[in-house]
Amino acid sequence: MAKRSQRFLWPALAIPSFAWLALFLAIPFYVVLCIAFGQVDPIFRTSIPAWNPLDWRFDQFAITLDRIFGANNFYLPPITRTITYVVTAVIISLIIAFPVAYFTARYAGKRKGLVLVLLVAPFWISYMMRMLAWVNLLQTDGIVNSVISLGGLLPVEVNWLSGKPYTVVMGLIYGYVPYMILPLFAALDRISPSLLEAARDLGASGFDVFRRVVIPMSIPGIAAGMLLVALPMMGDYFTSDLLSGSPDTSMIGNLINGTIQTPGQSGQAAALLLLVLLVLAAPMFLYTRTVARSETRS
Amino acid sequence: MTDLTGDIARLGMSRRRILQAALLAGPGAMALAACARADSSTPTGTAASGAATLQIASPTNPVKWPINPGNEAIASGLSPEKDAVLRLYNYADYLDPGIIKSFEEKYADTGVKVELSTFNDTLEAMAKIRGGSVPFDIYFPSYDQIGKLVLANLVRPLQHSYIPNIANVYPEFLNPFYDMEWQYTTPYTLYTTGIGWRTDRVTEDIAARPNPYDVFWDPQYQEHLAVLDDYREVIGMTLLRNGGTDVNTGDDALLAAVRDALLQMNEKTQPRVTITGYTDLPEGRLDLSQAWSGDLIMAVSYLPEGVDPSILRYWFPKDGAGVVNNDVMVSLKGGQNPVLSHLFINHVMDAKEAMNNFAYTGYQPPQVSLTPEKLISDGFIPPNLQEAIVLPGYFDSGYRLLELPPDIEAKYLAIWQQFKAGA
Repeated sequence: MAKRSQRFLWPALAIPSFAWLALFLAIPFYVVLCIAFGQVDPIFRTSIPAWNPLDWRFDQFAITLDRIFGANNFYLPPITRTITYVVTAVIISLIIAFPVAYFTARYAGKRKGLVLVLLVAPFWISYMMRMLAWVNLLQTDGIVNSVISLGGLLPVEVNWLSGKPYTVVMGLIYGYVPYMILPLFAALDRISPSLLEAARDLGASGFDVFRRVVIPMSIPGIAAGMLLVALPMMGDYFTSDLLSGSPDTSMIGNLINGTIQTPGQSGQAAALLLLVLLVLAAPMFLYTRTVARSETRS
Repeated sequence: MTDLTGDIARLGMSRRRILQAALLAGPGAMALAACARADSSTPTGTAASGAATLQIASPTNPVKWPINPGNEAIASGLSPEKDAVLRLYNYADYLDPGIIKSFEEKYADTGVKVELSTFNDTLEAMAKIRGGSVPFDIYFPSYDQIGKLVLANLVRPLQHSYIPNIANVYPEFLNPFYDMEWQYTTPYTLYTTGIGWRTDRVTEDIAARPNPYDVFWDPQYQEHLAVLDDYREVIGMTLLRNGGTDVNTGDDALLAAVRDALLQMNEKTQPRVTITGYTDLPEGRLDLSQAWSGDLIMAVSYLPEGVDPSILRYWFPKDGAGVVNNDVMVSLKGGQNPVLSHLFINHVMDAKEAMNNFAYTGYQPPQVSLTPEKLISDGFIPPNLQEAIVLPGYFDSGYRLLELPPDIEAKYLAIWQQFKAGA
């Protein structure tokens, strides 16, 4: 009897998570598919989802692909722009996060926990609120400008909020950098100090130790961190909306958001979304594979 | 295997059910509407040619909408519903809470409670009303949605005997082109679309330019300006700037010129695209913005303390040849309180209540008692913003953003999307 109940216990414990996934991932995803392959009401221009896969049509997909690769490819600029912004932001995030994570892992000692909590603390405030705070700081007569101009001594007046790509990239970095720090910290913290000492004993210089021991051993953390920040950045739209609001800095997220709100184009929005998903699935897949491999290795 | 077929069968089922629902809510109603139109042999407008078509009302083609069978106006003299919840559906910040309070007090013996829900744009609102999950009683759209609302049988015709305050508004609204004989609508607010700016930041007099719309392409204002986040307003403004007079055109050459001009605007001035100009301008985030007349009147109250309201200016063509529109109130068929709906609509058009609402929203009601001279002499509107007052004559001289046939609407949206993508 006890055995029997145990046989059902573990699968039963998985039911909530499966139900959760079905309810909030699988079903919505199916709805997106049905909208992407559905039709448009000719008068109200709302989408008519095709619930039956046999009725799926590829019109909306074709339009979307045409706008990316066709003659009038105005979907392409936001896509290339997004890739540029995200690559820049990820690289800078890594440059910022690595030393922070390294020093927390190696030198924070007993206060590791405290340092980590302090690093994460600003993120208890919602992303939106933090971006709105930046809007205040970055105004033409805001604090940032008065600091740069040394309180009005220098004739510096940067109009940060008027469609500047660097403001958006900065916003992205600020918004997502903790997601880079935490996995990096986890990877660096796992490197045993005795390995580093051994390297030094065998004659490696400090830089050699860093280059030949620390870096290779933190690669999974770097990969995880880069993925963790790149994925949400790719879909982000309110950073650009709040810190710029100009079409000149529209990203894929803005494109999808705008397309959904445009009557008659939710099908194209769904198609765009699926394409982004397909593209993002590749690095995700690579990442899970490297993680699985490194785990079997260790 | 069996599971899979079961799934498909179930999906097929739900699909059929959804089709049925869609048939009832959408096309079915359209077919009904089309029949109704054919039967009642409407005096104006394009006749329905078998399939349901959307009638487009315009000043040159005024439309008297059909009364769909089974959707006649309520009888006069009914007593209001008891202990009801009257549900309003409106933009945010677009109705004075004082009006709600005074209505509840006036009809306190019926125990009425008013509940205000808000939407961000009318497309979203329309989807929700069509969905029918909330029984909204009164909706405040622009007149360009009336055709769809009637077609889908979502609005209720008005019983005029409950609305004596119609006498307070401009007489043209007793027979507007978008709803002849005001069968479904009463006017709510009036507004023009022009340019707002701060004279402390912009030194030139924009109104003195030969073509003031050109400021949006003038690199000296680069990064300090905005256009409205509204595809009809921006495309309409660009059409006027290019020398056109038809802000509803479907002409491909004109629209191609609009697209080129908008992409050029992106390049030259990198405008923000927003409808929060009424706070951005007074708070200094913008120097110059395409704006609705009500935005500038509202902006006065958002000025930081100590800033002189006389720095705000608004421009609308002196000859009245600009974009001018109005919003309306309709009683929705899905609402549960037809009598109270009529009473509320009447209440909003009361001269005193309308004035309070104006003070709260900045959007002018079409009250005959409101004269421009009085608005300025009462100190209600500072003299530097007198161009933000909507004059009755504008409705003859101005251009109106009409409902677009779906194929032309698609062209407009494609241009807008390309502009917003920053391509």
